[in-house]
Amino acid sequence: MSEERKQEVLDRLKDGVINYDEEAVKEAAEEALEAGIDAYEAIMDGLTAGMVVVGDLYEKKDYFVPELLMCADALYVGLGVLNPHIKQESRGNTKGQVVIGTVQGDVHDVGKNLIKIMFEVAGFTVHDLGRDVPLEKFVEEQMKTDAEIVAISAMMTTTMMGMQKAVEMIRERNPNVGIMLGGAPLTQEVASLFGADGYAESAGNAVQEALKMLKNLREMRKK
Amino acid sequence: MSQTAVLTPRERIARLFSRQPVDRMPFFSGQGMVTLPVIQSLGLKFSQIHLSAEAMAEAARATAERYGFDAALVPYDMCTVPEAMGLGASFYEDTGGVLYPTISTKWGSPEEVIVPGDVMERGRLPIVSRAISLLRQGLGPEHAVGTWLLGPYTLAGQVVELDVLLKLTMKDRARVEGLLDRLTGLIIHIGRAYQQQGVDYISLREMGAGSDIISPRVFRDMVQPRLKRILDSWRPPRVLHICGATDPIIGYMNECGAEALSMDHKNDLAESQRKVGDSALLFGNLDAYRLLGQATLEEVRGKVLESARAGADAVWPGCDIWPELKEENLFALAEAVKGLHV
Repeated sequence: MSEERKQEVLDRLKDGVINYDEEAVKEAAEEALEAGIDAYEAIMDGLTAGMVVVGDLYEKKDYFVPELLMCADALYVGLGVLNPHIKQESRGNTKGQVVIGTVQGDVHDVGKNLIKIMFEVAGFTVHDLGRDVPLEKFVEEQMKTDAEIVAISAMMTTTMMGMQKAVEMIRERNPNVGIMLGGAPLTQEVASLFGADGYAESAGNAVQEALKMLKNLREMRKK
Repeated sequence: MSQTAVLTPRERIARLFSRQPVDRMPFFSGQGMVTLPVIQSLGLKFSQIHLSAEAMAEAARATAERYGFDAALVPYDMCTVPEAMGLGASFYEDTGGVLYPTISTKWGSPEEVIVPGDVMERGRLPIVSRAISLLRQGLGPEHAVGTWLLGPYTLAGQVVELDVLLKLTMKDRARVEGLLDRLTGLIIHIGRAYQQQGVDYISLREMGAGSDIISPRVFRDMVQPRLKRILDSWRPPRVLHICGATDPIIGYMNECGAEALSMDHKNDLAESQRKVGDSALLFGNLDAYRLLGQATLEEVRGKVLESARAGADAVWPGCDIWPELKEENLFALAEAVKGLHV
């Protein structure tokens, strides 16, 4: 297969995600496999590259949360086709484990679900606790799975205070785990105050944070 | 003695809304306004203040009196209307601490949503109505009583899975608009019932439609006409509140017809003042969590002054007051208000 042809398929994957065109992504993903493009490469240089652009569009206020969700759906369709064909060695050393959930008292999981997809794309094993998660459940799951990261989301000011208690509880049991907080009411200052290692301001910025991580992963992979 | 020197809290708020001179800036809110020290002083648990009219009213009254608010406000949580529509709510009665009620299971699509005709008889709406009535009687004629309702888009996100709602907003707008119209009628109906119970002001909270969630264009086309319809159907005074990013939509908010616009600290108040001019009062812009939970007393006083200088017409937290606050900060805020002459 020529480089031009390969690039054309990767571009279609990318554009399909950007234009939230699930059908186009599905077709391009199947074509990528038929053409012998490495599934992981198709995910990283096609689907993920598209989500990087989506993140930029969100930051520039060309896209908003509904568009992000639709782009993520298109990405998910592509992952559904490509994921089963990933060779284990393709993921390299990027794999890790994440425990993720929405804090107790909060039933909004849009941001959590978006960042979950991003972690999955990056090759992490994601332990999704869902929404309205009792604080001790985060601790239990981290201990059970020995996950490197715990990601906790809250969408409302009235629920974010639970995060502080969750961070304290997790730290008490395992001081070395990385804790990422996200959600609309948070600020960097509050996340730091709560003792978090990572912060994402909103659903969109949570994606941005994950995309930055993915960007780094892709760059590391190219080196 | 000047004409405005002996205003009661209720007179102060009424005069503010009718653009008459007031003795000092009113100090009140249209978002959750209750604290844990007050709840504990009443021998109650947080979950109990949502579940009986007496506890709800007593917590609101005691909060107003303890901190010197010009108004008492009920309810405290966002589940009262979804619950009256038939959805189950969790109250975390055995968990302890401060956990607001949540809706356990939402409808999967706009078409499944049920809007009952006798909604005021259902769920906790009779409790809220009675709490308003108790406050009206218990506070005496000097204090104002306020209430609030969610706007149609935010309420839609409470009763239908949020990701479904947000995606349909782009993919199948007519289905979302059909739901918004039904919810608009419901909100008008409940707001009028609360007004009949004697509230002095009503706030319409549409925090799900800020510009960090949906685009200003979607706000203008889908949300603004319904907000306008609701506000037109209620008697003044009315407040329209949106938190999060509001700078791009402040003009559209102002066209909705409320006497006052309320925003949180993400709003550039001075810029909003420039855009809105004298056509609406501006409330908020105070970071309720940071100011009352984290800031030094000096910062509290400074921010109140800063907000007033930027054009705020009342000292009004930009969001729900977090009940587990540093109480000395709220006392400092109340003290700072006393020096704010208009």
